[in-house]
Amino acid sequence: MVGVVIVSHSQKVAEGIREMALQMSAPEQKIIAAGGMADGGIGTDAFQVSEAIISANTGDGVAVMVDLGSAVLSTETAFEFLDEELRAKVQIADAPILEGAISAVVEASLGSALAAVIATAEGARTLNKC
Amino acid sequence: MSGELYEVISAVGETIIGNRQMLTDLDAAIGDGDHGINMARGFEAVKAKLQTLETESDIGKVLKTVGMTLISSVGGAAGPLYGTAFLRAAVPSQGKTELDVETIGLMLEAAIAGIKERGKATTGEKTMLDALVPAYEAFQDGAKTGKSVIECLELACEAAQQGVEFTKTIIATKGRASYLGERSRGHQDPGATSSYIMLKALLEHLRRQ
Amino acid sequence: MIEIQVTITNTSGLHARPAAQFVQKAATFKSKVKIAANNKVADGKSILAVMSMGLKQNTQITITTEGEDEKECSKALEDMIKSNFGEE
Repeated sequence: MVGVVIVSHSQKVAEGIREMALQMSAPEQKIIAAGGMADGGIGTDAFQVSEAIISANTGDGVAVMVDLGSAVLSTETAFEFLDEELRAKVQIADAPILEGAISAVVEASLGSALAAVIATAEGARTLNKC
Repeated sequence: MSGELYEVISAVGETIIGNRQMLTDLDAAIGDGDHGINMARGFEAVKAKLQTLETESDIGKVLKTVGMTLISSVGGAAGPLYGTAFLRAAVPSQGKTELDVETIGLMLEAAIAGIKERGKATTGEKTMLDALVPAYEAFQDGAKTGKSVIECLELACEAAQQGVEFTKTIIATKGRASYLGERSRGHQDPGATSSYIMLKALLEHLRRQ
Repeated sequence: MIEIQVTITNTSGLHARPAAQFVQKAATFKSKVKIAANNKVADGKSILAVMSMGLKQNTQITITTEGEDEKECSKALEDMIKSNFGEE
């Protein structure tokens, strides 16, 4: 099953999104939050992200949801710390972080492959709210 | 770590920490106002980390640690960018305990390549590259004419300063400042500024030796 | 092909967690699943499609299942909606 990593500048945001996503996940599904800095500050930490990706991977790859700006840079930096095998199986979803994470988690829970999980997360951009 | 190496990195770090407010003010004008705070946080972490490297004399290893520390502690975009720059500069300096003009040229080249790759950026976009690329070119011009490390760095600093001035005349097309478009003109880029002050701190420290 | 009509009775409607549960249940069957309501039709195995329907409480929906296990699939989905997805 594809794992999902949530990268936010805020630890609380990442944890909160994970909490919501867990409501919709399969029991054995890996959803890992990588939010904030080690000192509790606002920011993104590439090492935390790479560790999260490693823990989220069960062999089928990992979809990464990001918030703004440096979350993307840190995630791309994190990719450099991964071994080649895993690097080929991780992808950032160009999606709103919350809607993307939830859609990705549900798609992954169906046993879909990484490309489908990313596509569903990115499709969440078009979800209308009212 | 040799005393000199420790002092060079400390000097660069202290300069960044000392310019926290100035960098933050520059960033507040066209970005999200955290460049100084983030860079100072990064170099405070580097300072703490340096204590554990007291016996390390390999410049490459020390720069690698600096890069790793910046990546995990800066928090903003500057973390992965400068972190990658230091990691890349660590490659040509690996195993070296002293630096000559040729090696420094290779380090600058590798650092710039890392920033370009990470930021998917090039010159003329109002970023740190607008200070670093001219600095590197000036450094290499000096190297070609057989100048010393200090002389080459003087040329590099001058070019970096002009690069910072140049960022005032252009609009941002990368990073947060690009949201402002035309309104970013007239402001100097905080990233180019932090690059310049790091080079200048390095130069001033070497001059004092 | 089996077509059933069922009214959504749980408070939050076929959104978020219930939508996920629906899709996850549907995906365990081989049959094709379609939901129709308010003149729209959605793939019952697509979370985005189901969430986009915006199905609120008291909406009557038509669930169509088609395939070798259409009967079991239809029954399982109907039971799930009728049980209010475990909501109070």
